[in-house]
Formats: sequence, C-alpha cells, structure tokens
Amino acid sequence: MRPAAAIATVVACALASLVTSHCKAQTAEVLHWWTSKGESAAVRELAEAYRKAGGTWVDTAIAGGDNARNTAITRMLGGKPPTVAQFNATQQFHEVVDEGLLSDIDAVAKAQNWDAILPEPLRAFIKRDGKYYAAPVNIHNPSWFWYSKAVLAKAGVTAEPANMTEFFAALDKVKASGAIALALGGQNWQEAILFNTVLHASGGAELYRRFYGQTDGAVALTPEFKRVLAEFKRLKSYVDKGSPNRDWNVAAGMIIANRAGFQVIGDYVKGEFLAANKVAGKDYGCFPGFGAKAPYMIDGDVFVFPKPPKSAAAETTKAQMLFATVVTSREVQVAFNLKKGSIPIRADVDMASADLCTQLGLSALKDPSRHLPAPEQLASAEKNAAIGDAITKFWNTNQSVDDAARAFAKAAAIRI
Amino acid sequence: MTSRIQKTQPRRVNVWLHIALLPMLISALVAYLTSTLWTIGLSFTASRMFPNSRFVGWAQYERLFDNERWSLALNNLMIYAIGAIVLCTLLGFLLAVFIDQKIRGESLFRTVFLYPYAMSMVVTGLVWQWILNPEQGIQAFMHSVGFTEFNFNWIVSQEMVMGCIILAAVWQGSGFIMALILAALRGVDAEIWKAASIDGIPVWRTYISVVLPMIKGTVITALTLQIIGSIKVYDMVIAMTRGGPGLASEVPAKFILDNIGLRSNLGQASAAATVLLVTVVALVVPYYFYLKHQKAKTGGQH
Amino acid sequence: MNVHAQFTQASQGKPTHSRNKKKIRFSPARLGLYAFLLFASAFFLLPLYVMLVTSFKTMDEIRASSIFAIPMAATLKPWIEAWSSACTGLECGGLRVGFWNSVQIVVPSVIVSVLIGALNGYALSLWKPRYGNLVFGILMMGIFVPAQVMMVPLVRMLSTLGLFGSLPALVLVHTIFGMPIMTLLFRNYFQSVPDELFKAARIDGGGFWRIFFSVMLPMSTPMLIVATIMQVTGIWNDYLMGLIFGSADTAPMTVQLNNIVNSAFGERAYNVNMAATILTSAVPLFVYLISGRWFVRGIASGAVKG
Repeated sequence: MRPAAAIATVVACALASLVTSHCKAQTAEVLHWWTSKGESAAVRELAEAYRKAGGTWVDTAIAGGDNARNTAITRMLGGKPPTVAQFNATQQFHEVVDEGLLSDIDAVAKAQNWDAILPEPLRAFIKRDGKYYAAPVNIHNPSWFWYSKAVLAKAGVTAEPANMTEFFAALDKVKASGAIALALGGQNWQEAILFNTVLHASGGAELYRRFYGQTDGAVALTPEFKRVLAEFKRLKSYVDKGSPNRDWNVAAGMIIANRAGFQVIGDYVKGEFLAANKVAGKDYGCFPGFGAKAPYMIDGDVFVFPKPPKSAAAETTKAQMLFATVVTSREVQVAFNLKKGSIPIRADVDMASADLCTQLGLSALKDPSRHLPAPEQLASAEKNAAIGDAITKFWNTNQSVDDAARAFAKAAAIRI
Repeated sequence: MTSRIQKTQPRRVNVWLHIALLPMLISALVAYLTSTLWTIGLSFTASRMFPNSRFVGWAQYERLFDNERWSLALNNLMIYAIGAIVLCTLLGFLLAVFIDQKIRGESLFRTVFLYPYAMSMVVTGLVWQWILNPEQGIQAFMHSVGFTEFNFNWIVSQEMVMGCIILAAVWQGSGFIMALILAALRGVDAEIWKAASIDGIPVWRTYISVVLPMIKGTVITALTLQIIGSIKVYDMVIAMTRGGPGLASEVPAKFILDNIGLRSNLGQASAAATVLLVTVVALVVPYYFYLKHQKAKTGGQH
Repeated sequence: MNVHAQFTQASQGKPTHSRNKKKIRFSPARLGLYAFLLFASAFFLLPLYVMLVTSFKTMDEIRASSIFAIPMAATLKPWIEAWSSACTGLECGGLRVGFWNSVQIVVPSVIVSVLIGALNGYALSLWKPRYGNLVFGILMMGIFVPAQVMMVPLVRMLSTLGLFGSLPALVLVHTIFGMPIMTLLFRNYFQSVPDELFKAARIDGGGFWRIFFSVMLPMSTPMLIVATIMQVTGIWNDYLMGLIFGSADTAPMTVQLNNIVNSAFGERAYNVNMAATILTSAVPLFVYLISGRWFVRGIASGAVKG
C-alpha cells in the first residue's frame, strides 16, 4: 500500500501545484547524453512537463553514452548519485540492478498498467525478478534503410526493394548511374548495424534470434548463416574507397547531397535530414526491412533511478516516482518523440502529425509478430563485442566465408 | 659525507623532511600502490562491470593472449612507439637546431610548432581524418588539380593506417620535443662553439659529436616522456580511426578502456593493464641496476 | 643567502646567445634552412587551416565543398554559437558556461600540484630519504595503471572522507594524478644542483624549509614555469576527472566542449565544433605565448646536466 500512497501524494501534488505552492518542489538531477540541438529540443519537452507537474529539473548532460553511463555508475558508488540517469537497454543495465544500486519503480508501472501497454521486448527487458527497474522513454530502431529519392530516380530504381535480390539489383543500377551505391561509415559499430540488418532482413528473425540468443554458436556454421555472410560481404563492392573511419553523419550527408543511394543506419539519422531541411517521402525514403511484415528492431533509451542516499531518501523517491510518471505519460510521450524522431513506448497515442518514417515504425510497433529485440538485449556485452570484432574483421580483410563462419561461431559461444 | 652533516644539524630537520614528504607517501601508498595491487588482484577475478572476488586463476590471461585484438594492439604499440618516438625526436631535434641558427621570427616559428600541444584531440583528430581520407582530403585535392595518379590512401588501408596515427602524433608532439631540445641547446656553453669553429669542425658535426652528447640528459627525458605517452596513446586513435579500419589501429590503452566501459569486463582490462605494467617493470629494473652499477664504477658522485 | 646569489650569478652569467663566429648572411644553406622551416610550418598549420575555413562556412557549404576551399560567404555565426548559444544539454549556453569553472579548477590545481612536485623533487634528490627510491618507483609504476581503473577505489576513499563531488576533491585528484610526472621533472632538476651548493646552504644553518623557500624555489623559477605550462595544458584539457570528481555546478569547459562536439547520435555542426575547439585551446595557447621565453630558458638550466 505504501508505494500506492506515494503515487497518490505525487499525483495530488502534481495537481495541487497548478493552483497552490503547498507541495514542496521535487528536485531531480537528471543525467543524460542528449546534447545536440535536436536532442536538446526533445529533452526540453521532458523538463517542461516535469516542471509543470511541480518538479524542479537540474540538468547534467554528458555527451556520449559511455561517458554518461560511467559517470552515473561512479557517482552511485561514491554515494552521490543523480536522481535519474539515462541508460541503454543493454545487459549492463541488468548488472547494475543485480548490484543493488537501483530503486524499482513498480508502483508507477502498476499504476500505469505497463504490463499491458509496453511492447514485449521492452517489457521483458526492463523487468528484473518481477519488478520494473527503468522507465522507457522512446523506441529507436538502429536498423533502417534510407535512400535518396533523386539518386534512385536518376538510376531508374522505381520501387523499394522487397528482398535481398531486388536490393542488389537496385544497388547495381545506382552504381551504374555513377553515384555511390551504399554510403557506409566504416566504423565497427556501423559495420555491425549493416550486418545485423542483413541478418534479420535476409536471414530472417528466427536466424537472428538463434545467433544472438543461443550460446553454442553452432548456428553460424549453417548454410543459411553462410549465405547471409556472403551477402553481407558482397555489399562491400557497393561502398566507396573513403568509407573506413567515416562518421555516420558524414555518410548521411552523402545521401543529403545526393551523392549516394542508400544508407543503413538507425532512425536518429532523421535529425541530420531535418537539419538539412529534407522531407521524408519527398527528398528521402525509408524502410525498416523488406516487405510489409519485416522484423522491426526495438531498442531505446530508458531512465534508471539510483537508490538515494539515506539522508534524502524520502524526497528523492518522490521525485523519482513523479519523474517516471511524467515521462511515460501519453501527452509527454507524443511531444517528446515528435521532437526526438523516435517512436513512443506505448501504442495508445496519437502520432498523426509524425513524419512518414515514424508512421511506418508505429504500424510495425502495433504488430507484435514483427518485434525484434536488439542484440544488446539478447547477448552479453562481452559476446556482442566479440561478434563485433568478427564482423569488422570479416568486412575489412580477405577472410573467406567459411573462416568467417568459424570465427562467428567462436565469438557467439563466448561467455564468462 | 651525509653523516658528517647530520651531526651538525638538529634532529628536527629530518622530521620536517618526512612531514614534507607525507603527501607523496600517502599518494604513493594509498592511491598508487593500492590501485596497482588492486588492478593485479582484479586480473585474477571474473569482475565484469563491477569488481567482484570470484577467483578465476589465470583465465583472464589465457583469454587475453587468445584474443587477436590484444596481440594486434601490442603489435601496433610497437609500431607506434618506434615510429612516433623516432620521428618526433628527429623532427624535434632538427627544428630545434634550425631555430637555434639565429633565425628571423623565431618566436613565431616556435609557436607554430608548439600550438598543436594545446589542442584537444577530439576535433583535431577528426580534421586529420578528413585530410587523410582519400575521397575528401589531400588525394581528392591532388586529383582535382589534375594529378590523377597521386595516391595517398593510408588511412583506409589495413597495413598503413598506423602510419597516419604516427603522422598525427608527430604533428602533435614534436613541437614539445623541439622546445625541450632547443632549451638544452641554449644551455650549451658558447665556448664549445668557439673551440669547434677554431678547430674547423663543420657545424653539423659539432652538433652530432659534441653538442648531442652534452644534451644527452634532455634527450633521455624526452624519450621517457614519449615512452609513457606511447603506452597511453588513446585520444588520437579514437578521434581518427576508432581502431579501424577493422581492427588495424587497435592500441592497448583502447583495448583496456573498451573493456572497462563498453565491454564491461574489468577483469580482462586489469589483466591487460597488468601485462603492460609487468613489461615496463621488466624493462626498467635492469636499466636501474645498470645505472647503479655505472655510478659505483665512477666513484659514487653524481 | 650569499650562496643563492652566487649560484644564480653563475647560471645566468652564462652567455646564451653569443655565438660570435656565426654570421647572419644569406647563403644557399640558409635558404635551405628557411625552406625547411617554412615547409614544416605548412605541415603544422594545415589542420589549423582546415579548422579555420570550416569554422567560417555554413553547414550546407561544408557538405558541398572541399575541406580546403575558402568559405564563399564567410560567417561568424558558428563562433558566436560556440561561445554563447550552442546546445550542451537542456541549456544552450555554449562554452561560456564552463569558462569560469575551468579557471577555478585550473588555478588551485596547478599551484598545488606544481608546489608538491617541487617539494617532492627537492626532498628526494637533496635530502635523499632511505625510502625515496622505493616510493618514487611506486609513483612511476602508477603511471601505467589506467586512471579509469583507479577511479573506483579513489571514489570510495574520497566519499569516506566526505570530499567526493567538490572542488577540493578535484584539486586533490589532479594533484595525485599529476604527481608522478611533476616529481620526475623536479627530481631530475634538483639532481643537477651541485653538491657544494647544498652543503654550503646547510653549513650556513639553513633548515629544511628555509633552504627550500629561499634557495631552491627561487632558483628553480624557470622549471616552475615549465611545470606550470605542462599542468595548465593537462588540467585545462581534462574532462574525465572534472566530470567524475567535480559536482554538476562546477563542470569545466571541456564538458561543454565535449557536449558540443561529441554527441553520439545528435546532428553535428562541424563549423561550430571547429570554432569551439579553437576557443577552448585559447587559454593554454595564451599561457604558451606569454611564457615562451621562460619556457625555453627554464628547461635549459635544468636539463643541461641531465
């Protein structure tokens, strides 16, 4: 009953604060890594809503997920944690929970009926031992295809490819037209995104789940997996010589400047398109996979709630509950995700004003059979890193498909 | 000789000595010795994101040396250390000698050579990446002005990418070496030059055979600082290549930090740091005894 | 006192620039020399050139033009944005926000770390305590422990002391991390002090502190400046320590710089990034410029004898 009472107080205060200043403002120090202009506009929606609900938002922004996460954890260990900290939906989150550093927000989750409204991969992930330990705020899919309408039109590609064969045919046409067929930033993580996309788009969701989810690695030695490897490597012939080390947004710039046909990258790329005044459906196109039933990878940002120091426990817990309630509410979800370019965590909202690509994502979200967890949710950081090494080695050297398959099998079998 | 002096001094002097050294003693014992031992200890555990005490014996070391990424990193460290130290020292020495020829605009030149030392690598590394990128930088420029045969694509090449890292390191570091050596040159007694000139020894030979031995101490200081810098090289690699293409420019510091952060494998990171530490100690300790031996031979004065 | 005067006279009396025999004239060799220096300057300035032209372009022009091209319509906007309106999180206040914090961190951290380094070097090389080499060896080994590994134990210690998350904590951490190199510098420097000088000072009745403050410190002014320059550069550019050990309201300028240039998935404004980087390096550059003379002479008096 106690958590429920807390919620009641929070909500009462939220309402009361609109008319009186009877309730003390709940101060939350929020540690996050949203620092660019577009991200800043989005986070302002959260801060504004939190302030309206009677809270005070103290902003601690640290660019780069790694830096921000490490700072949050070090501060938890040092006994001066932020009230709220951004986190990725990765297995590392589970380690922090198991270490006993986080408060659960089950009370908010129950009050808001998260069991019913959250998509399954997300729900399964943030729930640990039956309790919710994080408040999700958005869904990003790191695995989208983007293309320049002008380049494809010039090359004579008239329809979005519906399978790998058509994709290769489209790439051939673009290459023949003189443009760069595939804009790739040749950094390990971008190569991994490309590989994972080929894996689930061509190999299928089942193969993808088996590869990341099983721990014996045997699936990497199957003919289907080897076919995926060969297709992935074939893509290299469509990439320009300047690809290695290129940042993802430079690659996006090639689509924007109509110098390249396709790019495979996460939906955060929309920020670049927006900054360059490009419109979805007019200047550029997007598809999350081949065909209307393509798997849709669900990844996103969550907020976690470090256990407060004893001296400020009651106040901090209130602030945390209020925060979790506010940022997952319908109105805030719409406002925030419209600015962020991502998809709300709940399907029961009206996103009619969102762009074409977001609409595609929303419809995928409404079909649970298309949901696909991100690799970080299925496998440990260690295993993902080993697979990442195998991917980048295969992509950048003359390793044969058979040797690569063995390396992938070894990487997927890693555990501590 | 020490004992004679101590007799003439009151005892409190030594008390002050130890009090003055307290901050260093505390830092060395509490911060450095503890962290060193802690790191070595962690390398025998299965610590992941958080330190734990699950003992795994030599397993972290076995995995470390089974990891291609680590052996590549060590290999690249050798290439980088040799390349960057040789080039930085040579260029630094040449610049210092040339600037020392009573040239016009000395302070302007000195500032031009030194300014990269002040710049944050995050963005300067990116700029080097652009300059070296064949589609964007020097090669593209040469092609656009008609030299279509011009080929400079080291940064996208598995074999040559370390050359690019070294190039940027030389850009960033040789100014500081220049300043060190220039300073030493300025301290060389003018009589030496007079004598050499009277004997008719050419200037370049005077530098090599007379002056260089005289500034040996500075050169050794410069080398020490560069060796430390090589082992810690990280920012440059992150900003220019993130260890790529593929794994071709992986370095130990990056391997260790990746394992602490992204890979959340503190045990593995500690094993890697311990290997570096042991290697350095194995190289330094014999040198220390060699110096002691030399001192004993020359009669104990310094 | 008389000893001090004697020594400084001896060291300063050395003519540093009178290389009488070498005449300034334009021979082919001298032309070659200037050619080499100019060529080297071009190599050193090339990245700065790219940064400067990029910082005056609009993003559209950056996407379309060569990185070496002169801006077609130069704009100052990126510079103004970098300084005062670039977004660094919820707030969009540019680099300006952290400037004074950085100054507040740098000044005490540099003073404390340099003084302690000087004191260590003086005590180690002139008073030669028995445990000196051992403790110094531990410090030098400590250089190879990655700072990130030391974080967790340090954080725990500081929070036990109740210092974690404050300016004093940050100063302490900078002092600890700077100690090995600072001690190394001063240890080698004071080792070149002639034995006779130290003996004479002691026979004159100088105690531990008196010799340090009235003889050795004044004598090592140039070395102090060298050490200051190294520490100013290092601490001004520090990011990790400021982030972890400081508190949110004392975050240094490099945190803002990083937030501007390093956003992982946000859209990137390269022109603003370039301007922000050049602006951030202004303080260490200024320190180099004003201390250039001493910098060079300073190393000389310590390093001659190695």
